[in-house]
Parts: sequence; C-alpha cells; structure tokens
Amino acid sequence: MKMKKLIAGALAMAMALSLVACGNKDSGGQSGSQTPPPTTGSQSGSQTPSSGGNDLSANLTLATYPVGKMTDETVIKNLIADFNAVYPNVKIDVIYLDYSNGDQTVNSMIEGKSAPDLIFEGPERLVANWGAKGLMVDLKDLLPAGTYDVTSGSCTNAAGAMYELPVCQTAHCMGINKDLFTQAGAMQYINEDTHTWKSTADFLKAVEAVAAIHPQVGVVFCGGQGGDQGNRALVTNMYGGHYTNDTFTRYEANCPENVKALEALRDVNGIEFDPGIVGGDEIGLFCNGTLAMATCWNVGAAQSDTQGKTANFEIFPMAFPTESGDPVLQGGIWGFGIFNNGDDAKIEAAKAFVKFMTEDDAQYAKIVEATGYWPTREVPGMYEGNEIMTEYGKLVPFMGPYYQITLGWPDARTAWWNALQRIGDGGDVQAELDQFVAEANAAAEAAEAG
Amino acid sequence: MAKANQPPMSRALARRETISGYLFMLPSLIFFFVFVVYPMVMCVFTSLTDATMADGGGNFIGMTNYVNLFQDEIFRKALVNTVIIVVVSVPTVCAFSLWVGACIYKMRDWACSAYRVIFYLPVVTGSVAVTVVWKWIYHYYNGVLNYVGTGLGLWEKNINWLGDTKFALGCIILILFTTSVGQPIVLYVSALGNVDTTLIEAAEVDGATDMQVFWKVKWPQIMPTTLYILVITTINSFQCFALIQLLTSGGPKHATDTVMYYIYYSAFTLYKYGYANAMGVVLAICIAILSAVQFKLAKSE
Amino acid sequence: MNTGVKHRSVYQTVTMILIAIIAVVIFLFPLYWIVTGSFKTPTAINNSVPEWWPSEWVMRNFNELFSKRSAPLWELHVPLSEWFTQDNSQIVFSTGPTVPAAIRWLINTVFMSVTAMIITCVTASLAGYALAKKRFAGRAILFSLIVAAMALPKQVILIPLLREMSNLHLSDTIWSVIFPIVGWPFGVFLMKQFSESIPGEILEAARIDGAGEVKTFTTIVFPMIKPGVGALAIFTFINCWNDYFMQLVMLRGTNVLTMPLGIAKMQGEFGQDYGLLMAGAALASVPIIIVFLAFQKYFTQGITMGAVKG
Repeated sequence: MKMKKLIAGALAMAMALSLVACGNKDSGGQSGSQTPPPTTGSQSGSQTPSSGGNDLSANLTLATYPVGKMTDETVIKNLIADFNAVYPNVKIDVIYLDYSNGDQTVNSMIEGKSAPDLIFEGPERLVANWGAKGLMVDLKDLLPAGTYDVTSGSCTNAAGAMYELPVCQTAHCMGINKDLFTQAGAMQYINEDTHTWKSTADFLKAVEAVAAIHPQVGVVFCGGQGGDQGNRALVTNMYGGHYTNDTFTRYEANCPENVKALEALRDVNGIEFDPGIVGGDEIGLFCNGTLAMATCWNVGAAQSDTQGKTANFEIFPMAFPTESGDPVLQGGIWGFGIFNNGDDAKIEAAKAFVKFMTEDDAQYAKIVEATGYWPTREVPGMYEGNEIMTEYGKLVPFMGPYYQITLGWPDARTAWWNALQRIGDGGDVQAELDQFVAEANAAAEAAEAG
Repeated sequence: MAKANQPPMSRALARRETISGYLFMLPSLIFFFVFVVYPMVMCVFTSLTDATMADGGGNFIGMTNYVNLFQDEIFRKALVNTVIIVVVSVPTVCAFSLWVGACIYKMRDWACSAYRVIFYLPVVTGSVAVTVVWKWIYHYYNGVLNYVGTGLGLWEKNINWLGDTKFALGCIILILFTTSVGQPIVLYVSALGNVDTTLIEAAEVDGATDMQVFWKVKWPQIMPTTLYILVITTINSFQCFALIQLLTSGGPKHATDTVMYYIYYSAFTLYKYGYANAMGVVLAICIAILSAVQFKLAKSE
Repeated sequence: MNTGVKHRSVYQTVTMILIAIIAVVIFLFPLYWIVTGSFKTPTAINNSVPEWWPSEWVMRNFNELFSKRSAPLWELHVPLSEWFTQDNSQIVFSTGPTVPAAIRWLINTVFMSVTAMIITCVTASLAGYALAKKRFAGRAILFSLIVAAMALPKQVILIPLLREMSNLHLSDTIWSVIFPIVGWPFGVFLMKQFSESIPGEILEAARIDGAGEVKTFTTIVFPMIKPGVGALAIFTFINCWNDYFMQLVMLRGTNVLTMPLGIAKMQGEFGQDYGLLMAGAALASVPIIIVFLAFQKYFTQGITMGAVKG
C-alpha cells in the first residue's frame, strides 16, 4: 500500500508539471489570503458574535440543495461574505446540489471520505438518513431560543439527538391555474377564502370540468427522487388515510382509504400517472401552462423567478382535497446539518457558521428570506406586507406531523415510486400498496437492527 | 503470432527482453494496475461483505450477496435489459453501417464525406448534449415527435415515450444507435474502398450479380473490419449509463434498468456496497467471457 | 445488361433517398434542434406546436447559462501540495479572473480530454510495442488480463475507485477522471495490434547496428505506428469527452465540473427549462463540432487507421 502510494505520488508529481492545474478550490465569497487579521466585531455593527471565536480558521465545504434561492450563487455568496466579515479565516466552498442527483453526489462524497462539512436540507435526509448512520453532529446546543417545539422535534431523532438545526419551514400545498379553473367553471368547487376544496368529490368534479377544456389537468408523477410529499399528501388526504403509524416506526400506506384514493385518481379524466417526470418537472409543466394544477407546489415555487414568476396566469394555492374539510398538509423543514469528518476545528467552525446564521434576528431573517419560506421561530416584522407570503400563510395552520423521519425512508421512497408506477400501469392498487408496505417495512426493520 | 519458427534465445538475451519488455510496459501497467486491477480486486473482496455506508468495511458474509443477487427480480430484469440492449444494438449498428457504407462509398467524394460527417455528428456532439435534446424531442407534452406523429395521424394521442414500459427501452436504444454508427460507417467506407477491384471485375465478367459480388468477394475482405466494429460496438453498448441516468433513472417499472445503472443505484441510493460490488463482479465475468469469445473469433479469422 | 443497369438505378435511388431521410431526421435534426432551441424564447420552447425556425431570436438562454454560476478562469496550485497541508487542501498560487462557470467547464473538459489523450497515447504505444515484439515472461497472462478488462464498464469498480481516489488525495480533481481512463487497457490492445505489423527484421537490424531500446523505439517503431497513435488519440479524446459516468461520480465542485456534467446538473435543477439546457448543449457541442469539421479529413483517416490492423 505504501509502495503504491509512493508510485502514485511520483506519477502525480509528473502530471502536475503540466501548466494547467485543476484545483478543486472554489474562490468562495472573497479570497481569504489578502484578508487582514481579524479585529473583533469591528466589521459589522449588526452582529453580536460570541466572543473569542473570530480567530477560528478552517476550510469548509457547504453543500446545499435548491431550497428557495439557496443554490443561487449571488445569494449564497452574500451570506458567506456576511459570515466572513466576522470570521475572515474560515473559508467556505459551496457545492450546489439538485434533487435529481444530489443524494448520490453527497453519498459519493461520504464514500470518498470527503463529505461536506455543512449541508442544507431537511430531516428526511439529515436525520433519517445520514443522521441515522451516525455521520452527523448533534446540534442541540445551537438551537436558538423560541424555536417552535414542533419544528425542533421533527429535527430530532428518537434518542434525542438533533441532527438538523432548523432554519425555515413551509406547508406543501397544491397550486391551480385559476384562469383555467374559472374558464371551466370549476371555481364553484373551491372555498376561495380558506383555499380548501369543498369535498373530495368536488375536487374530482373540478378535475373533470377542467379536463373538458384543457387536455391535461394534473399528473401523479412517479419518475423518482424529489417531490414525493406532493402525491403522498394528495393520496392520504382524499379519504383520510395515513402513510406511517403514529410513532413513525412502520409504514401503513396500504390502508383502504389510500386504496380508494389511488383508484379514484386513476379513474378520473384529466389526471395521469406519469413515470416520465419528477416533482420538479411537474412544477415546470404547471408554470408553463401545460398542466392546470400542481401537487408539488409551495410558496417557494410561487416566488421563484424560474418557476412561479414565469407563469402568465394567476396561480391560486390550495390545500389538498379532503372529505372532512380538515386537510393535513405535509411540512417542509430545512436547515443545517454538520457532518462529523473527525476534525474538531472544522466542526467548531461549522457550528460557528450555523450559529452566526441563526442566532441574530437580522442575519436569521436574511437567510430565511433567501430560502423563501417561513422562519422556525417568531421574527418580528418578517414578511410584513408581502402579499404572496400572506396568502400562502393561510395554509400553514393545516400543517400535519412530519413523518418523513420514519426509519428506512430512502428505501421507502424508492418503493413508493415503483408502487405508483405499477399502479399507473394498471396494477391492482391494494396488492401494489401491500408490496410497498412490505418493502418499506423491511427497510425500516433493517435500519432499526443495523 | 507465428513465432514458433524463430530460434530459441540465449538466456542473457531472454533476460534482456524481459527487462526491457517490462520497462516498456511499466507506465501503462502502473495506471492499469492502480486504477483498474486493484479496484477490481477490492471489488471482489467487498462483494463478500455486507458493507454499507460509513461502516468501515462491513462483515464477511460469504456468498450471500451472490445468492441474493439471483433471487433479486430487479437484477434479473436489469440483466435482461442489458442483454437486450447489446443484442439489439450491436447487430443493428453493424448492419446499418454496412448498408450505409456500401451505398455511399462509391459516391462522389464530397457526397461521401458529407454523409460520413452527418452520421458521425452525434458522436462529437457528446452523449449528454444528445441525450438532453432527445429528451425534449420525446417529451410527452411538447415534444416534436408527438407533434409530428399525431399531426400525420401515425398515432392518435400523445405517447409518453419515456414513461411507457412498451417504448422506453426502444427509445433509449435509438439514441444509443445514433451515437454508435458514426465510427463503423467511416470504417466500412474505407474498408470497401480498399477491396481489390480486380477481383470484383473478374466476378462481374463471370456474370455474378451485385449481391453475389458483395457477399462472395467484398464481404470476406472486410471481415477484419467487421470484427473490429463488433468489438467497439459491444464496448459502446455497455457505456449507455448517461442515457439511462438522464432520461429514465431505470424506470418505468425498471423497464430501462441496466446492470450498470442498478450498480450505481444500489450503491448510492440504497447504500448496499457489498451487494453492488457483487453485481459488478458478475457483470465483469460476463463481459470478460464475451470479450474472450470475440477475441478468439477475431484470432481465428 | 441494360435492364440490369436500370434495375440497379431504381434500387439505388430508393436507398439513396432512404439514407438521406434517415441522416437528416435522426442525425442532423437533433443538432439543428439544439442550436435553434438555444435561441428560442421560453414561450416558443414550451409551445406544444414547435417552431421549426425561431420566430424570435433571443440571447436569454445564454445569458441565463452564463449568469447562474461563476468560477475563476484558472487556478494554479503547487503540485502535490495537498499531501502536505493539514487538511489536504491545495495551495493555490495563482487564480484567474472570475468568469461564467460554463467557460471554465469548457476549459476543464478540453484539458481533461487532451491530457488523457496524450498520456494514453504515450503509455499505450510503449506497452503495445512491448506486448507485440518483446518475448518476456508473463506476457500471455498480461495480454489475457488486458483483453478481459477491455470492455469492463467503470460502474463495476466504482466504489473501490472512490475510496482509492480519496487515499491518493485526488478526490474532486480532474485527475480522478483522467487516470482511470488512462488505465483502461483498450489503447494497449489497439497499439499491440498495430505493432504486430512491424517487421522483426528491421528491429533485429537496428539491434545489430547497436541502437539502444529507446532509440529503436523513437526512430523506428514510433514512426511506423504513428497512424495507429493518431487513431488512438481520436478514440481516447472522444471517449473521454463522453465519459459522463466518471465525471458524475468523481466531480462536484463548481470549479472542476466539465461541460457535460454542467448540463446534466442544470437539467436536475431546472429540468423543464429546455432553452437553458439547449444553450448548454450548444456550448458543449458546437466548439468540438467546428474542430471536427475543420479536421474532418484527418479525423476520418485516423479512425480508419485504427481498423486496418484492428
């Protein structure tokens, strides 16, 4: 092994003589080398950094999923620049992930022993996946006072370790093309003031009505990866079904209510099961007018320059249809996780970054605004006068339990897509859901044992 | 290859040959052993464990992964799909390029090179760029293929090309086909151009038909080219990962899963490293056998 | 004879038309669609009635492509510095001006393909010559190994390779893509087939004349296998340019991405923005197509050479 390393080293030396070097360094928000030595607190008036931390020095990698504008280069580099004004010797490289291949990218980094130090995502990945594998650092001590208990609870595993420090949250909802619905006379099935459907039957009638004037109303997308909250919520709300048990240990999606819902979705005119697209595609197709409604919608998409803002029709947010009139929306909670790469200096610097972003109200408001979602604690004056936020805010009280941290989630998600694909292809709904539950629970048991 | 009639070397000379032989081989062997053979050996070891993410190597579990592998429905499906891709695309590519080559090699220079360039374009365009544009062409809602097809009345309503189990694999094979025929056509054009014209003329004088001239005179002469094309097309067919990953992720209902994609998927989505490596070993063995057979075939010609 | 000629011409006309249609529809059209698509407005792109010729030409897609990510034009680092720094980071001594990342990706792709091509040609021609002309112990075994590994898909060795790259401090560098491509033994096989044609008498004569091994190789062997090297160079370049899988697994940072990977990542993030994707695809393909067209003659010659002895 040593010999091989030597040989490889010699080889690499020869290679490196060539002129163009292929550094893996991101220039970050600013170049670190010319920065003057730190002078405590003098750069920024609004910050109240914890004393003595400014001499921290480390090279960190921040991997971020596209949550709102968190993969927008200018936005993220501005946030880092704020941090560097106080901690000039902590250099942060950014790795931009997407939902189609981001998990695989992070996993390959972990396997290559170069896991990112900081990561921005939700509990289903940070807690139920990497956290469950013992790769993450417990961030309980960083939790700002006043964080909603429900939120912090969703970021904590059964043993009480908090692997995600929550930054922002939202309720995932539906979006409809109000112009088309009005044209089809389908707005009569909707309570416009509460953004709810009058009943599940009315929802199906509305879909049929729109289908009469528009070829494609909606899809049950099942191409894999992200966006599963959309069709999970649709299916479980329609007739009051559920996806997991109350303690989030086992999957129970094969309940009769879900079977009925999926059968209804398969039968209704205007909704198709489409294994050719994923959640992000559905949003795109909705915004460009191809689809009349989206199930993978939320306020972030509505505010996005590349999504909601491109639509040339009125987008109307909706809760998912229910019989009871009491929808249960899927929450989305995003925040920072820290990978334990065995280097205390890095962990400390990463914690300083998280603390810097979340502790002070002004800085916190800045990063929450970058995500485009709501803060996870009361922030005075946040989103005052923002119409979109106010309108979508009406849906937030419908938020239900965050069951995405059930063990075996990555396998379960895959099994869910496959079950939907089989159902869309004409498979028996009960049998396919039974198979899904069997596969998902096998994964949950394996995760529990290992 | 026929070295048997050479005189035996002296021992000193043999040693010199061995040393210089290995010195010449050394740079290449370093890369080969460090980046191909060593990982392959590690792959065999890992395949005997239940290694998963961040567990430091896993426990030895013998042949369990291999046993599970052959009971895994998805793996069997992926294996079948891989075989379908190879079995369909290799002969199609060879036949098509031979047909095109035979048709264009006698054309005027500019026409012949124009065709060669056109058929080679998808190769230089790059697999990702080609895949992305085909994804748009195949698009269910606003793809140009559905527009033309429904417009001409070839099919009634839009077809979900990549989302339908009946079409998805075929669509992928078509893209693979466009990125594969470029080189074979160039090769056939030049091989056919090099066929001994006196033999053709002699055959024509004897009253042979075009078909007879082709199969009896030209075909044997371009046989080495055909074999070379078989080899590179087979290699190419196993490299269709980008198409699967970017277009379908193996779906719908695993209709486009290949072993290559399933390895990636098992490793990085399901964290079954030992299992993924067992799959890799099985695939490597299959391919090594295939290569050996092709090579033997080539040698006997 | 007369009827025969006539018959042939009808048959020929039909096949000619057929080939022309196939060539235009499935080979030329996608490229046309990339180029025109990259200049279309989002409305035109999303319209279910395609615009065969853009009604309005806009630069919007390229502007988007260039404004999304940025990267320094180049970074020069102290060779092997990552072996000595505390956290295995490289010591960068020169950083270029910040440019749109797509330009850096293009540079990375060209650098990767050219470097892999050069190293492969050198190592493979040396090794191929030795395998063909030297009779040394273990030759047969080595050759079998090479043939067996030739068609090996890289997915097979993916996980061990990742671990190895991190041990060698090559994670997330272009080298982690280049080295496995160089190690791939197809080149050695090809050059061995080529070197077979070198007459043994010439080598014998050179040896009797007292020429050393190195001199024999550079003055006699190399000129004779030069066409083969050309073929291998083209093959490796194209292969590397298209080796999406290794790039996908090995590269993550914005500064080390390649053009194909850059497009693939954009399609993950902005899936339905086909205008943006076409702009990326155009940028990735048009430069190499221009090079290809300019050197088309050498290209086809090179490819052909590969098969003469293959």
